[in-house]
Order: sequence, then C-alpha cells, then structure tokens
Amino acid sequence: MNLKKGLMALIAMGVMAIAGQASAAVTCGDTTGQAATGAPIVIGGIYADGAPGDWSSSTDAAAAYFACVNANGGINGRPIDYRVENDQWAPEAAAQAAAKLVNDDKAVALVGNGSFIEMAVNAKTYKDAGIMVMASACAISECFESSNIVSTNEGPLPSDLGAALYAQENLGAKNIACIGLNIPDNGVWSCQAVIDMMTKRGGTGSMALLNPGAPDVNSALLEAVASGADTILMNLPAGLAIAVLKAAQEQNLRDSYNWIAPTPLYDLSVPAAIGDYWDGKVYVQAELAPVSVNGPDAQNWLAVMDAYGKKDDPRDTFSQGGYLSAQFFTKAALAMDPKDLDDRAKVTAAIKGISGYKSDLMCGPYYVGDADFHMPNHAGYIVKITKGGFEVVQTCTEYDSDYFARHIEVEKKLGLR
Amino acid sequence: MDRSLFRITPSGASGLIFAALAFTVLPAIAGSYWMSVLTSAACFTMAASGVAFMYARLGMVSLTQVGLMGIGGWVALRLNYLFDFPFEVNLILAALATMVFGWILALPALRMRGLYLALVTLMAAGGLEILFSTFQFPNGGVGFWGVKIGSTDPFRGPMLAQTPEAFLRYVIGMTTLGFLLIEAHRRTAPGRAWALIRKSEAAAMAAGVNVTLYKTWAFGIAGLLAGASGALLAASLGLLDDGTFRSPESILLFALAVVGGSRYWLGPVIAAFLYRILPALLNTWGVNADLAYVIFGIGLLHALITAPNGIAGQIFEAAQALTTKPRGQK
Repeated sequence: MNLKKGLMALIAMGVMAIAGQASAAVTCGDTTGQAATGAPIVIGGIYADGAPGDWSSSTDAAAAYFACVNANGGINGRPIDYRVENDQWAPEAAAQAAAKLVNDDKAVALVGNGSFIEMAVNAKTYKDAGIMVMASACAISECFESSNIVSTNEGPLPSDLGAALYAQENLGAKNIACIGLNIPDNGVWSCQAVIDMMTKRGGTGSMALLNPGAPDVNSALLEAVASGADTILMNLPAGLAIAVLKAAQEQNLRDSYNWIAPTPLYDLSVPAAIGDYWDGKVYVQAELAPVSVNGPDAQNWLAVMDAYGKKDDPRDTFSQGGYLSAQFFTKAALAMDPKDLDDRAKVTAAIKGISGYKSDLMCGPYYVGDADFHMPNHAGYIVKITKGGFEVVQTCTEYDSDYFARHIEVEKKLGLR
Repeated sequence: MDRSLFRITPSGASGLIFAALAFTVLPAIAGSYWMSVLTSAACFTMAASGVAFMYARLGMVSLTQVGLMGIGGWVALRLNYLFDFPFEVNLILAALATMVFGWILALPALRMRGLYLALVTLMAAGGLEILFSTFQFPNGGVGFWGVKIGSTDPFRGPMLAQTPEAFLRYVIGMTTLGFLLIEAHRRTAPGRAWALIRKSEAAAMAAGVNVTLYKTWAFGIAGLLAGASGALLAASLGLLDDGTFRSPESILLFALAVVGGSRYWLGPVIAAFLYRILPALLNTWGVNADLAYVIFGIGLLHALITAPNGIAGQIFEAAQALTTKPRGQK
C-alpha cells in the first residue's frame, strides 16, 4: 500500500514537473501565471473568409496570443477583449467591420488584420479615427502605403521579388511567368514589380491573371506555359497555389520549369498536401523565420498556438505574423501608463513610438514611426519544399529594389541600420 | 383631378412619412455599423425600385440591374479621377450614362418577352461581370479604363454629406427622389401607355401608343436609378470591386423585389432589407449569414404560392382591411 502511495506521489510529481515545464515554455506579456481580472481593453481585428480563400490565420494567432496574455496577468492586470470581424472579401462588409470595431466598439487599436480588401476600403477611416492597425497578413499595396497601417508580414511585392531574385540568381531563371489574382493593388502590383526587376536584370517576364471570384487555375497555367517562361511564380493564396501545382502535376510539367512562390505556400500542411511528386522542386520565399530556424520566439509561437489556439489553426507565415503583431502590441501596451490604455490617441502614439523591437522570427528590427508608408519587414528566407517539410536554402536576405529606398532611409534615421 | 400629378394617396402618404422618418430617425439612432449597413441598403433600395417598377408596370423581367449599378459606379469613379467635377455632377452623369446604356440594352431586347427577355438581360449581366472582372474599376489610373497598378486614389464624396450620418441622409433623399420619379411617370402619359402595353401590346399599338418608345423609356428609367445607386455605392466605399456586381446578384435582387412586392413602394424597401440588412442581422446574432439564402428561398416560395403581390401587398391589404369599415357598420 505504501509502495503504491509512493508510486502515485512520484507520478504526480512527474506530471507537475511536466506541466511546469509546459507553462514555462509559453511566454506571454508579463507571464505571471495569474489570470487578468481588471477592466477589459478592447482590441479589434479584421480577417477575410470567403471565396477565394480563408485568410484568418493571423487573427487566429493574435487571438491565441492575447488569450495567453490574459491568462498571464493581461496588460498590467487588465485583460484584452479581442474582437474579430470577417470582411468576406467584400468592400461593403469590410467597411461595416471597421465601422463596428472602430466607432461602435471603440477599439483602441486593431491587431492581426489579414485581408485583400479591407485596407483599401478602410485606410481613410483609420486615419480619420486616429487608430493604428498592426496588421499581419497584408496582401495589397494600401497596407504598406498608409499612415495608420503597419504589418509584420511583407506582402506580395517583397515576397515575390525575393522568390524571383532567388530563381534568377540560383536557378537560372530568365523568363518568369507570374500567376496572380487580377486585383490592381495585389496581383498586378506585385507581378509587375517582378517583371520590372527581371527586365532591369536583362531577363523578361509576364503575368497570367485569375479572376478572384471564379479562379480558373488551368487556364492561368496554360497562359503561363504559352508565355515561353522558364519559371512559374505562383503569386496566390495557398489553396490556389496548391491547385496550380495539382494542375501542373496532371500535365507532368514539374521538370520543365522552375516553380517558385511567395510566402502563402509556407504552411506546414503544404508539403503533405502537394505530395512527394514535388519533393525538392518548389522554392518558397518565407517572410518570417521557418520553423527549422527554431529560435526562442519561433518555439514560443508554436507553444502558444498549441496551448491557446485551435488544433486546426494554420501554422504558417501569417500565423507567425499575427503572433508577432500581438506580441509587439502587448510589449508597447505594457510600457504605457495603465490609465492611458483606454485613450486611443495615447495608444496610437505608443504604437507609432515602437522602434527596434526584435524577434528571431524577423530578419530585422520591427518599427512603426510616423510616416505615410510602413514596411518594417522587407527581408526573408527561401525554403525548398521537401518530403514532409521545408529546407532552408537561403537565410535572411534583403532584396534589391528601389521600392525599399524610402524604408531604408527611415531605418537609418531611427538608428536601426 | 384624380389624375393630378401631386395628389397624395394613402399609400403615397405612408411612403413619404416612412422616408421622412428614415431621413430623420435612422441616422440619429443607428450606430456606425448599422449606418454603414443602412447606407448600402438604401443604395440597393433605389436599384430594386427600378427593377420592381419594370416588372410591375410592364411585366418585363430585367436580370441585369446590379450589373447596371456597376456601370453607374464605373462612370462615377472614372469621372471622379478624370475631372474635378463635384460629386453631384458625377452622380447625374453616371445616372444618365447608365440610362443610355439601358436604352442600348433595351433596343435588341424589345422584340423579346417573358423568359426570353429575362435571358437576354441575364446574358448582359454576365457580359458586364466579365468586363468588370477583366478590366476592374477605375482607381486613379490613366487611359480609358483608368486603372493603375497599386493603391487607389481618394474619391470625392458629396460636399453636403461628409459624415456617415449626413451621407445616409443623402442616400435616403436620393432614393426618395427616385421613387418620386417613378411615381411621376406612373401618373402621366408614360404610366398610361405602360398600363395599356401591359394589358396588350397589340391594343396599345392600335391605340396609337409608341410601344418601342415607352418600353425603351422604362429600361432607361431603370438604368438611371441603377446608375445613380451605383454612384452612391462608390461614394460610400471610395472604391468598387467586381465581386459586388456578379450576375447572380441581379437575379437575387429581382427575386427579392418579387418577394417584397413590386407594385408597392414598400416592396423595394423589403427587398433591400432582405438583401443587405438581414445578413447583417444574422452576423450580429452570430449566425452564418448564408442562412439568408435559405430565407430568400422560403420568401420566394411564399410569394409565388400565396402572395402574388409580395410581402408589401399583404401588408397593404391587411392595412386596408383594418381601416375599411365592414358593410352595414356606421
């Protein structure tokens, strides 16, 4: 009997030790281990879920991080009331989502936004309301060319440039066909940047555009093939990029082209989804550090998602972006006087004052500043899809483009270079 | 005297009171979210009034109304970036341009009736959908299409309506003017011609009615209202997206106009309520907004089986029954 009691005690101690290790592995805010009980701070977030894709990974991750913060002391004892709205890929719904969060719910900031449309519709609303948006899955130019929006992800322009430059320098690409969505501030904007870069470097390029409402990937693939390209860039959300790869597999096109993609294809579920056929044949630009880099923040991101997210939440770049935006917001908010946390103007000032925040998930420091444009993250990795995972083939690299000149200038002024 | 242009009927009085209440009360009590939803709903009320009027007065089924809204929105955006005209000028020009487009669409369609006319207008909506998705909406670029790569330039809204509250009032005011335009036509020569054409085209021709002119004129009015509503929608958002103007949306708007009751002013209001406010309500209650489509289907079955005059017809009939004294009662 005593032996049994002793054994049970040992098991209990073991379980407690494991639990202690698990909780120690997750770091959020003050990491007090005590749930926040004060008056909630309202934070909003807008994601897109509708045809042609689900773009909610970043708000899922921000929600997980804020849940973790709330379980660990909140913001100086005050929990975050994180409210998310779906813009449904529709301008009217996007305007309504912002109206609700900004004006009705009186959010002091928006964190984790991910969309193809809401930033274009709402940039003026954010500016007029004096609210900052710490976005995480921006896909359109307005996101990077507005005074009150800053994102932890890079967007399609740098991500496409990174993938295209790698292909040009390392895979011998001379003619790149960019398959993108027919959206002037998304697919056309980023594909044109690739074509301009290739032309400047003595190569050439073209774009095959898809109707976002009724994307026909077979037609786009055939158009890309007909262009005479040697490299195909899938500038698309993950679901559509996978559909392009499936269509290419049916036609056994794998070895006839280089296959490259921006960061949406960096999703831990993608290698299994496309299968062994593509082993070692697809190169993806990752806007944030791949899992295999495995720094402390990368581990913490996965631990937070496992502990506070849903099992089926994607583990992709945008999830990393949402985690980072929430983490940076929390850090800035924790440095504020708690009584100022309901004052939107002071929260906005605190966010604009962010400079030099670091994470091993990002190649460079994160900053905001007071400007009409923001792109703190414009360097990234290149990974190759292998059986069951990704292999890093190029570590942090900055991309050669005039587009980043003004950002580099700001970074110099802030003493970040 | 009964045919006086300015005679106020009970239905007209109720409509004017409704518009006045909406104009004064809604912007005062609605939160920002509902202000945005109501603005969209008011825009679509105007568009629905055009399609409902064509169906009620001439029996013509137009399945391209939302596509025509896209034309109006496109013209308003293009003019905004091309010239420094005030919004009101752009609004009028967009409405007129869409009216002309409606005429052009009407001319080949006039030989058709019933299902065939509906199919022709549906094909037109499909064509517009392809145009919008291929060329997109102007965003400040140069050339005919006015589309540039990258971010959208700012859009100038009406000077009289710079706040969301004022803009909602502005749209309600414009929509009321749209209803009054339809009613003015109904009470004058075109209305009498349409009534005769609806009974019998042959009889109308025998009576000396220019059937082609008046049917084309009806298409033009529907286009004018669609164009104005598209321009107002563009002003409310600052940009437009091709996804708003897909051909199934035109079918849905027509179906909802039938559910609402095309013969009454309240019909398009109910149609816009179902089209834009019901999904927002479902969202607010945490219910998937796609449930609205199931409700639309039930509403259409209800209209086809038991309410040929739509929900508005049932409401007005019930109101009439309540206010009419039974026979023999003093």
